[in-house]
Amino acid sequence: MTAHTSVIGTDFPVRDARDRVTGSIRFVLDHAVPDMAHARLVTSQLPHARIRSIDTDAATAMPGVVTVVTGADLVDRDGLDPYFGDQRADQPAIAIDKVRHVGEPVAVVVADSAATAREAALRVVVDYDPLDHVVDAEEALELGAPTLHDAHPGNDCGAWGLHRGDVDAALADADHVYRGTWTTPPGSHVPMEPHVCIARWEDEAHDGRTGNGDDRGHGGRSLHVWSAAQSPHAVRTALSGMFGLPEDDVRVEVGNLGGAYGAKGQVKIEPLVACAALVAGRPVRLELDRDEVFFTIGRHAAVVRLTTGMDAQGHIVARDVDVVYNAGAYAVTSPGATRQALVRAPGPYRLANVRLRSRAAYTNTVPTGPFRGAMTAQVCFAYESQLDDIAADLGIDPVELRRRNLLREGDVFATGEELEDVHFTSLLDDAATAIGWDEPLPATAPGRVRGRGLGIMLKSTITPSRTEVRLAVDTAGRIRLDSSSVEMGQGVTATLVQLVADWLEVDPDLVDVPAPDTARTPFDTTTSSSRTTFSAGAAVRDAIAALRDELAALAAGQWGCDRDDVEVDGGTVMRRADPASAVTWAELVAASGRDEVLVDGVFQSRDELDSTDPMDVHGRATVHWHQGAAAVEVEVDVETGRVTVERAHGNCWAGRVVSPLRVRQQNQGCIVFGLGPALFEQVVYEGGQFTNPNLSEYLLPSILDVPRDLTSSALEGGPDSELHGVGEMALPGLAPAIANALFHATGARVRDLPLTPERVLRALREAGATPDRATGTIPERASDPAGTGAGDPTTMGGASAHA
Amino acid sequence: MPVASWLEPTSLDQACDLLADDEFESTALAGGTAVSLMLKMGFLDPERLVSLARLPGLDQIDVGDDHVDIGAAVSLSQVAQHATLRACLPSLATACASVGNVRVRNIATLGGNLAEADYASDPPAVLVSLGAVCVIRGPSGERRAGVEDVVVGHYTTSLEPGELITSVRIPTPPGRSATYLKYLTRSSEDRPCIGVAARVDRAEARPDASVTGLDVVVGAVAGTPQRVAEATEAEVGRPLDRAAADRLATAYAEAIDPIDDARGSSWYRTQMIEVFVRRAVIELSDGPGRGGTA
Amino acid sequence: MPDPEVATTKVRFDLNGSVAAVDAPIGQPLLTTLREGLGIRSARGTCGVGVCGTCTVLVDGRAASACLLMTQQVDGREVVTSEGLVGDHGELDEVQDAFLGANAFQCSFCIPAMVLTVRAHLDEHPDADAEDVREALAGNLCRCGSYPEILAAVDELVAARAADDVAARAADDAAVDREDPR
Repeated sequence: MTAHTSVIGTDFPVRDARDRVTGSIRFVLDHAVPDMAHARLVTSQLPHARIRSIDTDAATAMPGVVTVVTGADLVDRDGLDPYFGDQRADQPAIAIDKVRHVGEPVAVVVADSAATAREAALRVVVDYDPLDHVVDAEEALELGAPTLHDAHPGNDCGAWGLHRGDVDAALADADHVYRGTWTTPPGSHVPMEPHVCIARWEDEAHDGRTGNGDDRGHGGRSLHVWSAAQSPHAVRTALSGMFGLPEDDVRVEVGNLGGAYGAKGQVKIEPLVACAALVAGRPVRLELDRDEVFFTIGRHAAVVRLTTGMDAQGHIVARDVDVVYNAGAYAVTSPGATRQALVRAPGPYRLANVRLRSRAAYTNTVPTGPFRGAMTAQVCFAYESQLDDIAADLGIDPVELRRRNLLREGDVFATGEELEDVHFTSLLDDAATAIGWDEPLPATAPGRVRGRGLGIMLKSTITPSRTEVRLAVDTAGRIRLDSSSVEMGQGVTATLVQLVADWLEVDPDLVDVPAPDTARTPFDTTTSSSRTTFSAGAAVRDAIAALRDELAALAAGQWGCDRDDVEVDGGTVMRRADPASAVTWAELVAASGRDEVLVDGVFQSRDELDSTDPMDVHGRATVHWHQGAAAVEVEVDVETGRVTVERAHGNCWAGRVVSPLRVRQQNQGCIVFGLGPALFEQVVYEGGQFTNPNLSEYLLPSILDVPRDLTSSALEGGPDSELHGVGEMALPGLAPAIANALFHATGARVRDLPLTPERVLRALREAGATPDRATGTIPERASDPAGTGAGDPTTMGGASAHA
Repeated sequence: MPVASWLEPTSLDQACDLLADDEFESTALAGGTAVSLMLKMGFLDPERLVSLARLPGLDQIDVGDDHVDIGAAVSLSQVAQHATLRACLPSLATACASVGNVRVRNIATLGGNLAEADYASDPPAVLVSLGAVCVIRGPSGERRAGVEDVVVGHYTTSLEPGELITSVRIPTPPGRSATYLKYLTRSSEDRPCIGVAARVDRAEARPDASVTGLDVVVGAVAGTPQRVAEATEAEVGRPLDRAAADRLATAYAEAIDPIDDARGSSWYRTQMIEVFVRRAVIELSDGPGRGGTA
Repeated sequence: MPDPEVATTKVRFDLNGSVAAVDAPIGQPLLTTLREGLGIRSARGTCGVGVCGTCTVLVDGRAASACLLMTQQVDGREVVTSEGLVGDHGELDEVQDAFLGANAFQCSFCIPAMVLTVRAHLDEHPDADAEDVREALAGNLCRCGSYPEILAAVDELVAARAADDVAARAADDAAVDREDPR
C-alpha cells in the first residue's frame, strides 16, 4: 500500500465545486415528481383575528384547481393532529380558528399549475373578526396584554434564571455601577433559496413493505417529503407525530440547500404541504414567494438590561442581565432557546457574582428561531458595548480592560462549571493586532473621523444532541459514509470526506457521502448551532473504530486466526506475522460473500444543565464553548451619521482545522452577513403590519458594502485538539465592534440596532460631536474619558488610536 | 385577470391610437421593468399590454451645439456609458448610472423612467435641474413640456391617455456645470434617502464668475422633485461661494417638508437636505462636478 | 400545460445557441418560461423584484433579470444562461474557471448569476478593471458572504486578461516587426 497523504488541514474541495459554479447542482427547488400539483398560500393580512369564515367557492370553481385546503379541513380528520412544534405543539399546519401574525397561512390552493393556483388564491375570501394585537415582547408580558395562546397565559414562551454569588451585595460594594438597555429589532435570515417542499403519499412503505391497511393510518400509506431543511429528522419526527405514522413511514430527503442560516431548521412548511397532499390526493409542491419566506421565520428581537459593577482596578465584581426575547406567534425553539440564551448572556468574563434572567414572549409577529449567532448577538451587543463605556469612564484601554476580565483556563463560569479549552485572551490579542489597535488612525477628509472597536463572545452549542453515521466498505473497496448532515455551502460533504479518508488512511476519492435521506441516512439532531464538524466528526471517529474492529474480525474469521493478530491498515488487512497475507478491503469484503461491511458510529451529548428549578439553572451548559471575536475600523461622516466599515477582522477558536479555506469563508461570511443586522437590516412592524417583506425594503449587504480590508484568522490547536464548528463565531462581536468604533471615533453611543445614520446622527448631536457648518469639523468633545484624543478630525490622524 | 393581448405597434401613430382606445384598458411598456413589478403586485390589471419595443427611431442620441436629444427608448445604461453624454451631461450620466442595478439599467429606458414618475428614482431630479423638456406624441399631435410639468405627483404624470414621451431635449449651454449627489442610508443597493441635482450657468467658465442661472433640485424627499426657486434666483448675479452654499442649504431645509419612510424620517431628511444641498453647491462652486453616491 | 383561460403568444428566441419556441402566457416572466418549460435550472428566483440577481440571464449579451422580463420581450432575441457558457465538450468559460479557482461559492445559489454578470461586463467593456466589475456585481446578492472570494476571482481574471493582452500585443508587435521590411 502507498503511504496516505493527509487531507485534514488542506483546502480539499467539495466534489461538486464545478457544478456549483456552472449552476448544474440541484436544489430541492429543482425537484419534481410525476403528477405533482402546485400549492399557493392565502395568508393572513391581520396580526390577530378570529377566522369567521373562508369562502373558497370561487377558487375551487376555477378550471385546474384541485382543492382548497383550510384549517377546518384538518380538525377532526381521522388520524391527524394538525399542530406541530419543536418544543410546544402550538402551531397549526394551516391556521385554525384564528390567525396570530400577518402572513400566517390561512388557506392553501392546490392546482394543476402554479399559475392557476396563484390566480385562484386571489379568489379566496376570508372573513375575520379582528382581535387586539401585541407586537412588542415587553408589552406582551404585561398584565392585560392580548393573549395569543389560551394554553400559555401571560404569553409566556420560556423563562429562566441563574444566579451565582451575591449580586446585590456586590453591586452595593462596587466602586462603579453601570446600567444600560440595548435593543435588537426583529430580523430575517433571507436565504437566497426560498423554502420549498414536495410531499407525496405513497402506497408502498419505504422499507419495501406494501401498505398494510388502515392500522397505519391514512389508508396505510406512507409519506415521502423532499424539503429544503436543515433538520431532516426533526421534520420526520414532526410529521410522524402529526399523522400518527411510525417514523419509518415518513421519508425526508434533502438536497443541497441554497442558504439557511437557521431559517430552515426544525419544521417549517412541511406539515402544511403534507396536509395539502393528503387532502388533494396528489403530490403537492410549494415554493414560497419571498414575502412568505419573511413570514415563515425570523430572528428574535431582544431587549437587554445590563447592570455591571466594577472595582477601582477595573475588575467586574457583579453583573445582572435581564433579557426579554420576542418569540413571535409560535414557540418553535424559544422555550429552550431562552435557556441556552441564559448561559450566553454574561459574556466571556470572570463573574463571581452574577444574576441572569432570560424570558421570551409570544407576540403577533413572525415566529422566530435560531439565526446565525443565535441568542448571542443580542446579548453580545449589550455586554461588549457596555464594556467600552466602562473603559472610557475608567480611563482604561478597552483591550486592557477585557484582558483583566476575560475568562481563562480553569475559571469557573456563571453556571458553576469549570472551563477548559479557553482561548479568549488569544482571540482578543489576535483581533487587536489584526486591526492595528495601537497604530495611528489614518488621516481623513474634513467632516470624517475614524475609530476602532472590537467585540468578543462566547456561545454554547446545542446540547444535548445526537449524531449517528453509518460507514460501509463494499466489494470494490469504495467507502460510503451515510450521514444526515446537510450541505448548505459550508462544505460539510468535503469535511466528512476529509475526516473519513484521513482517519481510515485511504484515498479521499474512494469516499462517498450521499445526500441526507431519512430512509437511508441515520439520525442527526440538526445541521445548525455550529455543531456539525464536531459532532459528526465524533460519530465518524466512533464508526471508524468500529469498522477497523469489524474488518479485523472478518479477516480473523476467514483466516482462522485471533483477531488481535490482524492488522488493519489504510485499505488493507494482514496477519501481523505475515505481511504477504495482506489483502485489500475489497477482497476481504468480496470473500465474505457480503455486499458491504457496515458499521455504526454515534455521538451523543447529554444535558448536564440542571434546570429543575427554572429560576436556578446551573451545571454544564454545553459540550464545548464557541469562542470568537470581531474587530473593525470605521469611518463616520459626522454630518450625516453614516458609518462605513473600512476594515474588519473576524476570528474564532477553531481547534483542529479541517479546512483553512472553509474556516476563512465562515469568518468572512460572518462579517459580511453581520454587516446587515449591524447597520441597516430590520423587520419593521407598523400597526401589526410587517411593512418590508421584500428585498427592495429589507436590504442585504452587497459586494460594495464589504470592507475593503477584510481578514480572518483561525486560532488553531495541535493535532490532538477538538474539532470545532466555526459558522457563527465572528458574527456576534461585529455589531458591538462597530458601535464601539463609532464611540471611539466620536464619543457617540448608540444602544439600538441597527446603527442607522439617523440614530448615529442623533447620538452625535447628543454627544456634542456635531460638525461646525462652515468647516465641517467637529468641536472638541466636552469630555474625553477614553483618552482617545478624538477632537478635530483633521489632526486626529496623528494621534495614537487607543493610547 | 390575465392579460388578454400583447400588442407591438410599429409606428408611433399606431401606438398612440392603441393607447388612446378607451374600449380597452391598456398599459404601455418600454423596458417593462416598472410595469412588470406593478403587474406582479397587482397595481396594474390591464387587458392589453402595448410594447413600444418595435417603434422605430426612439433609440437615438443626437448631440447638437446647444442641446442633446435623447430618444425615449434609450436605456439608462446607454446614457450612463455614452462618452459624449458623460462629458457634456455628467450629472445625468451619474444619475442614470446609479439607478437600481446593472440589469435594470440595461432594460429600463429614459422615457419609461419619466413615465413611471417614481419619486425615489434618480434621473427626474437631474432632468428638472437641467431644464429638460419632454417631446410628447399623442393622438392629436406633438407637444413639449418641461420634465417638472410631466412628473406632477407621486407616481403621477400629466400624460394624457394615448400620449407617449418620444424624446427628451436637454440644453447644453456653454459655461454650465452640474452635479448629482445620491445619498444612501442602508445598503449600496438601496434607493436614495435623498438625491440632490444642482446646475449652475456662468457668464464665463471660471468658478468665481457670477452666476447667470442656477437650479438645485432635491429628489426622493417628496412625491415630485423639489426646488426652492426664490432661493436659487436670489443667487443669480453673485458668485457661487461657500456662503451661497450655506444660504441655499438653509433655505432648502426650511422650505421642503420631506416624507418619512424607512430610509429616513422627515426630521432626518431635513438635516440631509441641508447637508447635501450644501455639498452639491460647494462642488459646483469649486468647478464642474460629476457627483456620485454616498 | 397552459390554462385555457390564459391568452398566450408564440415566442421564438435563441436560447444558448438553439431555437426555443414556446406558447407563453402574456406577461409570463421569462424566468418561469425558462425553468418550467425549457429545462433551465441555473437561473433561480429569489426576490421576484429584480433586486437580488439570482435569475440573471444575458439578453443580446447584456445582463437582465429574468424575473422582470416578460417572455414576449425576448421574442427574436438571443438569451444566454449559465448553461450556455459551458462549451460543447464541457469546457468552462474563463469566468467560471476563475470562480472555481478562487473557491468563489458557498451555497452557490447566486453564483451562476454572478458569473453571467461578470461575463457580460467583460464582453461589453473588455478593458474593465476589477473596480468596474465590482460595481457591476453590486446588484448580485450573496447571503453566505462569499464576496471576498468572488472579488479575488475577479481580480485574478482581470489580471490574467491584462497579461494576455500584453502578451498578445507583444506577439502582434513581433509579427509586425517581422513583416516590416525595414
